Amino acid sequence: MAELNAVEIRQVSKIFGFGEFAFAAVDNTSVSIRQNEFFTLLGPSGCGKTTLLRLIAGFEYPTSGEILLNGEDIAAMPPFKRPINTVFQSYALFPHMTVAENIGFGLMMLGKPKREINERVDAMLKLVRMEALAGRRTSQISGGQQQRVALARALAPQPKVLLLDEPLSALDYKLRKDMQIELKRLQAETGITFIFVTHDQEEALTMSDRIAVMSSGKILQVGNPREIYDAPADRFVADFIGETNFLKGRIGSVANGIADVDTPVAGRISATVPQDFHAEGEVTVVLRPEHATLCPPDRADASQMTGTLENVVYFGTDTHYHVRLSDGETLFTLREQNKPLQVARFAAGDRVGIALEANAARVLRN
Amino acid sequence: MARAFSIRRQRGFTAIAVACFVALYLPIGVLVFYSFNAGESLASFDGISLRWFAKAFQNQQVIDASIRSLQIASVAAVVATIAATMAALATTRTEPYRGLTLKYAFINQPLMIPEIVTAVALLIFFARIKIWTGYSGLGYLIAAHTAFCIPFAYLPIRARLENMDLTLEKAAADLYATPWNAFRYVTLPLLWPGILAGFMLAFVISLDDVVITEFVKSAGQDTLPTYMLGQIRRSITPEMNAISTLFLLLSIGVVTVFFIVNRKRV
Repeated sequence: MAELNAVEIRQVSKIFGFGEFAFAAVDNTSVSIRQNEFFTLLGPSGCGKTTLLRLIAGFEYPTSGEILLNGEDIAAMPPFKRPINTVFQSYALFPHMTVAENIGFGLMMLGKPKREINERVDAMLKLVRMEALAGRRTSQISGGQQQRVALARALAPQPKVLLLDEPLSALDYKLRKDMQIELKRLQAETGITFIFVTHDQEEALTMSDRIAVMSSGKILQVGNPREIYDAPADRFVADFIGETNFLKGRIGSVANGIADVDTPVAGRISATVPQDFHAEGEVTVVLRPEHATLCPPDRADASQMTGTLENVVYFGTDTHYHVRLSDGETLFTLREQNKPLQVARFAAGDRVGIALEANAARVLRN
Repeated sequence: MARAFSIRRQRGFTAIAVACFVALYLPIGVLVFYSFNAGESLASFDGISLRWFAKAFQNQQVIDASIRSLQIASVAAVVATIAATMAALATTRTEPYRGLTLKYAFINQPLMIPEIVTAVALLIFFARIKIWTGYSGLGYLIAAHTAFCIPFAYLPIRARLENMDLTLEKAAADLYATPWNAFRYVTLPLLWPGILAGFMLAFVISLDDVVITEFVKSAGQDTLPTYMLGQIRRSITPEMNAISTLFLLLSIGVVTVFFIVNRKRV
C-alpha cells in the first residue's frame, strides 16, 4: 500500500485582484510532498513560493484547487485548525512573553494541561539548546537565538508539517551555515515533514531531500538536488541554479543518449540528451563552469574552443574566469579550484583555450 | 574650539524656546501663587493662606460641578476608548487597501471641524430630541463628549498598532489561537499602553471642554469649566485661582499615573 503524501497540492491557483489587474501568484500548480521529507520551494522573489506556503498554512485560501494534508482536504480550513506550524521570516515572536511562554503558546491554545505544557517546553528548550534563556524576554536575545525560539515554538505542538518561510535570510553567513546543519538535525530528530521556502539556491541544494523550482506561479521542476543541478529541465532552472554557459548548436547523430552537436564557437561537442527527448535541429547545450578548464590556446589536442580572457575573479576557494569566445559575442564562464601556493597561469587579455571534461555538456529540453 | 556639527544649534533657537516657556508657564505660575493669597485682591499679595481652598471645598456648586465633570469624563472616556480601539483595529490590522486613507480622514475629521460648529449643531439637534423625548438628563452631555473624544482616543491607539508587526496575529492563528484568543493573548496585551494613553487623553479632553458643554448643557448641568466661566463673568476672586490650581493638580495627577503605568509595561 502506498503511503499517503504529507501534503498534496492539486491544481491550485491563487489569483489576486480582479479583471485586468488579476494576477495568478500560483498558477494551476500540482505537487506532492512525501512524509518526513525536507522539501524546498526555490525560486526568485515574486515566483509564488511564499504564496504557496501561505496557502498550505491557511493564511490565504486558494481560488481553485485542492490542498490535502495526509489525504484530507484542508483548503477551506482556517489556520488555527490546521496541524501545521510556521517559522516566519520575521520570526514573529510575541514580545510581551518570555522565551518559555512563546514556546508554550501553541500548547496553551490547544488547551493542554499545565504540566504537559511545562514538560514539552523544557524538552523543546533542550532540543534547540536554549535552556539557559527560558525566562528571558525575546527582545533580550540575539537574532540567532530568536531563530531557535521561533523553531521551538513551531515544533512544540508536534505539527504534521513544519513550514519555514526564508527563516535564515536575516542571519549572517556563519550563523546561517550553523543553522542549516541545525535544521537538518531537527528534521531528522523530530521526523516532521519540513517545507522550506528560499531564494538561495545553495541553501536549497545543501539542505533538501527534494526541491521544487518555481517561476511565475508555476513549478518548473521537482527533483533531488543532484537532478536539479545536473539535469535541469529547462533554461530557467539551468540559469537559476548555479552558473551556466549556454551554447547554441545543430544536433547531428544521436546514439546511446549521446548526441553530436555542431556549435559555431566550439565545433563538434558530444552532449548528453535527456531521456524521452527527441532533439532535432537547433538546440541549446548547457555547460557548468566547473566542468571546463583553461589551457594554452595552441594545445589543439585538449582545447575545444579559444577566446580572450576578459577578467579573472578570485573567490578564495576558487577562481572564476570570463572568456570572450572567438565569435566575439559569447561570454564563457569557467571556474577552477585554487591549489596551495598556486601562481596565476593566465592574466586578463591573454589568448586562452578551453578544455571540456568528458560528459560535461548536456542538451537542454526546449 | 570647534563644536561637533549639529542642526540643533541655530541662531535664535534658545531665545525662542525661553520665550515660549515663559509665555506658557509664567501665567500659570502666577495663578498658582495667588491661589495661596491671604487677601481678597488679585492685585496685591497679603501673605500665605489656604483660605480660598477651604472656601472652594465648602462651595456646594463647585462640588456638584466637579462631580458632574468627573461623571461625564469617566463615562465618555470609557465609551470613546472602546469605540476608538475597535476603529483602530479595523483600520490597522490589515494590509493597506484602497479607501483606507479616506477612513482615517473620516475618523479624524472631528479634530479639524471648528468646535463651535459642532457645538451649534449639537445644540439644535439635541433641542429637537429633547422635545420629542422629554428627556433632559446628563445623557446629552455624555453623548456629545463621547463623540468628540473618539478621535483623541484613536490617535495613540492607532500609533501603537501601526508599529505592531501584522505577522504576530498570524503567528497566533498558526499556533491554534482563534481570532478571539489571538486578540485576547497577543493584540490586547501589546495594545494596552496605547489604550491607556487613549483613555487618559480622552478623559482630560472631556474634563477640560467648555465650548460644546456650554451649548449642550441644560439648566443646572454646569461642569467645572463652565461653572468657572460663569463665575469669572461676574467677579474674579482668588477662589477661582484655588479651583484652577486644584484642576491643574488633577490633570498632572492623571498624566503621572498614566506615565508610571505605561513605563512599567515597557
